Amino acid sequence: MKEMSDLNLPADVKYTKDHEWAKLSGDIVTIGINDYAQDQLGEVVFVELPEIGDTFSQGDEFGSVESVKAVSEIYIPISGEIVEINEGLEDAPELVNTDCYNDGWLIKVKPENTSEMDNLMDKPAYLDMLKG
Amino acid sequence: MSQRLNKPKRSAVFMDLGLLDYSRALDLQTQILQSKIDHPLSEDRILFVEHPSVFTLGKRGGEENLVISRNFLTAKRIDIVQTNRGGNITYHGPGQAVLYPIVNLEKNKIGVKEFVHGLEEIMKRTAMAFNIDADRNLKNHGIWVGNSKIGSVGISIKHGISFHGLALNINPDLEPFSWINPCGLSNISITSIEKERRKLNATEKLSDNDLSMDQIKDSFIKHFSSIFNYSIIKNNDSSKKTKKTKAVMA
Repeated sequence: MKEMSDLNLPADVKYTKDHEWAKLSGDIVTIGINDYAQDQLGEVVFVELPEIGDTFSQGDEFGSVESVKAVSEIYIPISGEIVEINEGLEDAPELVNTDCYNDGWLIKVKPENTSEMDNLMDKPAYLDMLKG
Repeated sequence: MSQRLNKPKRSAVFMDLGLLDYSRALDLQTQILQSKIDHPLSEDRILFVEHPSVFTLGKRGGEENLVISRNFLTAKRIDIVQTNRGGNITYHGPGQAVLYPIVNLEKNKIGVKEFVHGLEEIMKRTAMAFNIDADRNLKNHGIWVGNSKIGSVGISIKHGISFHGLALNINPDLEPFSWINPCGLSNISITSIEKERRKLNATEKLSDNDLSMDQIKDSFIKHFSSIFNYSIIKNNDSSKKTKKTKAVMA
């Protein structure tokens, strides 16, 4: 596993305790799993995502990431409706490992209430939790 | 490594469930898992079990790898159970040692990749103690003797806590494995510790120690403990722990 200092944790996204990231742009939140999660999962072989139009509450399970011989649930950082899923992951799930903040994003959500972003951790708080 | 040795050991309670139906064991895993999610400080548990004959499917299925009809299995009274673990179709039956570690990987800072690798290592070392040349294979995860698979691994993770686990063939009837493409792989064979020992006995005249589940259980405990740095308490060794365990099981 990567050392803490080697983790790629952008400062312009928010983090959950379950190692997802969320970024608000305009009125849409893009969501994925972060570098810590992809590193400790190992090679991702399949990503199960919800359907467009599905709605979730903050913290709900919204899918799973299957790495070799392990299925890990993933949890939504913000309440809202799924407006887009990353269809490229069907053929190239490894993007979650190689580019987790860009091409390896998972879903886009139209949030019910953007103030829920305040419940998430910024980079220093997330790092503190990891060190905890 | 020295840093790790200075750390206090992780701890887990070991429960031997004996021969228990797959679905009932899964219910028990789910109960323990939920209790650990609700009470993050509660102890890790490691379940040891043999199942009556059953086929199980991974999260992404595997029924297409059943090479006989469902009617054939119905006639044999063997169920097929859908699960949410990783991997494809597999068979469980008496004589196969199954280990379900329900452990907080997140809290214990054990990576998923590292955990799967460690579970394979437990099976490898257990088989090697019987002079069997078991190892990983590039074909697939799990543990192999040459081109024959002897042990499988498949886990799920919920809120950082693992469930499902590993299955090592000790002396099961191997015929039901011929009714599937195990793990979704065709043209592979399945072996067991007993089968490999018989081969060794024929060539090297090894002493024919009885192969008992108790030996396997002790080996699993020993290797789990050393690989993951755990102190493991058997639940029937401690009345206090047993009480707690029973509360979860009730």
